[in-house]
Amino acid sequence: MSTQDKVKINKLPTGVPGLDEIVGGGLPEFSFNIIAGAPGSGKTTLAHQFVFANATPERPALYFTVLGESAIKMLRYQQQYSFFDPAKLPDSIRFINLSQVVLEKDLGAVLEEITKEVEKANPAVVVVDSFRTMVRKPESDMDLQSFIQRLALFLASWQATTFLIGEYAEDELRDNPIFTVADGLLWLRQTAERNSIVRKLQVIKLRGQDSVPGLHTFRITDAGVQAFSRTFGLTARKRNPPSDRRLSFGIAELDKMLGGGVREGDSVLVAGSSGTGKSVLATQFIAEGIRQGEPGIVAVFEERPQAYAERAASLGLDLETPQKDGKLTILYLRPLDLSVDETMHSILDAVQKIGAKRLVIDSLAGFEMALSPGFRADFRESLYRMIFALTGIGVTILSTVEVDESFTEFTFSTYSVSFLTDDIIRLRYVSIDGQLRKIMVVIKMRGGNHAKDIREYEITSKGVVILGKRLANYQGLISGIPVHSDRPDTTEEPSLDTGIEHKT
Amino acid sequence: MTTPSKIRDLAQRLLDYEAFAGNASEPGESATLRVYEKLRQGLGEFAGVAGFQSLASRALAMARTEAPSLNAVRVSADGSLRGLGEIELQFDIDKVRAGEFPAGEGEIILIARLLGLLLMFLGEALTLSLLHVTWPGAAFDDCNSENRRNA
Repeated sequence: MSTQDKVKINKLPTGVPGLDEIVGGGLPEFSFNIIAGAPGSGKTTLAHQFVFANATPERPALYFTVLGESAIKMLRYQQQYSFFDPAKLPDSIRFINLSQVVLEKDLGAVLEEITKEVEKANPAVVVVDSFRTMVRKPESDMDLQSFIQRLALFLASWQATTFLIGEYAEDELRDNPIFTVADGLLWLRQTAERNSIVRKLQVIKLRGQDSVPGLHTFRITDAGVQAFSRTFGLTARKRNPPSDRRLSFGIAELDKMLGGGVREGDSVLVAGSSGTGKSVLATQFIAEGIRQGEPGIVAVFEERPQAYAERAASLGLDLETPQKDGKLTILYLRPLDLSVDETMHSILDAVQKIGAKRLVIDSLAGFEMALSPGFRADFRESLYRMIFALTGIGVTILSTVEVDESFTEFTFSTYSVSFLTDDIIRLRYVSIDGQLRKIMVVIKMRGGNHAKDIREYEITSKGVVILGKRLANYQGLISGIPVHSDRPDTTEEPSLDTGIEHKT
Repeated sequence: MTTPSKIRDLAQRLLDYEAFAGNASEPGESATLRVYEKLRQGLGEFAGVAGFQSLASRALAMARTEAPSLNAVRVSADGSLRGLGEIELQFDIDKVRAGEFPAGEGEIILIARLLGLLLMFLGEALTLSLLHVTWPGAAFDDCNSENRRNA
């Protein structure tokens, strides 16, 4: 059968930011869906968002309430959300209470009542909240199965997209017939992790279209439920082909060490202990980008944007003007109970808003500390997803990471995130001639030549300045306690690596 | 605590409206009962019988503190009102035409209290939209309730 012979399934907007991406573009029209989860997990709010996004006077929504939260209280609370439009009631959205029928009659009578209202209103959307309380006392399993089957058939035939809301436990997934009949099954979870609440949703089942698998973080705010896709909404974007363009740090000697600069679309890690100038280097990288017309984002976790800009000013770098001109955004991300995906969505939003070409994350340690404890376990995996997504659209990312200084070993990163990076620049202290001095070395550059030289640098009022030639007359520099050798320093130019990757 | 005057005005408008409308269709029937029954039907659909019955009971309890004449009135299990006839002034269309109010003080207070609860729970926008459905021909402008949300 050719593509044009196939029936086209319309996708309805969920009204939940981020959820359309997760369900593969919207929920299938006329589908029969379950929204399951524990009390307080946001099931009713999610259903309301769908209803308000899709109901019209011509094709209204019928919202059947059963036992549980009273309709008056539900409306009282739901109208606090920004998506709630009172003007849609009751022409586009009608609330119908079925408590009496459920309490006094059987499932057949309930079906009859729903049928009567649906035939009268011709709704586009039907919600039963809570379905669980409606079927709490079936005479037999067969009654329940038959009821669900007839309800699903009837509502689909009447071209209604349906949501049954229920408080189900996960171990009911196997035996409950409702999950077999359903076309779509959204499961909302919330768990306590130490002092934080972690909310995640999963599309366990969705017939007819590709949804994004896995658990997706969501948050309930004044705007209702907001979901954060694990793919950050970038699944539809094509990955840019690898670029040969090199981006300058604005430090000529460092650019030389990098074989001409950082390759566009790379992920660069600047690792070093406290005070080695990681943030200074990152600031110079972003400032040079702005100077060359490349908008940038700086995500800071350890100091406020104003302080960050003032520190840049002390190095002669103006970050205030580009902020006013919309060329630079400094994000300060320190809310409580932050999920890694939410943080990354904030970064992505900023990147897309100003068309950023360079992104600085300063620092990964601060980023991790800003997260709710329950999300820290996901940190590396989420970071990987974000870096993959952003570099794929041509954004060059520079992350700083603090490493513990050791005088016996030379670690690249305490976070074991070096696998996420294309390029690593390592900064460290060394003891030379009775002074604590600083050295810099390019550890790796994926797909490009780089200098093997170990160079000394200083942090001056102009930022990082690389001094003289490579430190040829010392051995054991990376140990931090080098030994002076008598060999004369004859090297004129930095020697370039052959591009062979170092195993990190 | 007395019923805010704006809510009383709204209650009175409903009673006036039903007094005039009811005269043509069912002369002699109590305007208060007609207003109450329409509210019961409209609210009962989405709040359920029990939901409406609870609200009505609360409204009646509050109204009694202002109007002891309502002590004989009861809200039955299905939410309907019992005992109102014993205290109600007889509907007199001539009085209405003369600009006099057709319902007694206690009845105004009862309806006002019920509307007040709706305004408190649902806010002005939703309450007025519900009233518009029940009384499509009536004009309910801004009732300036104490519970009005700041837009």
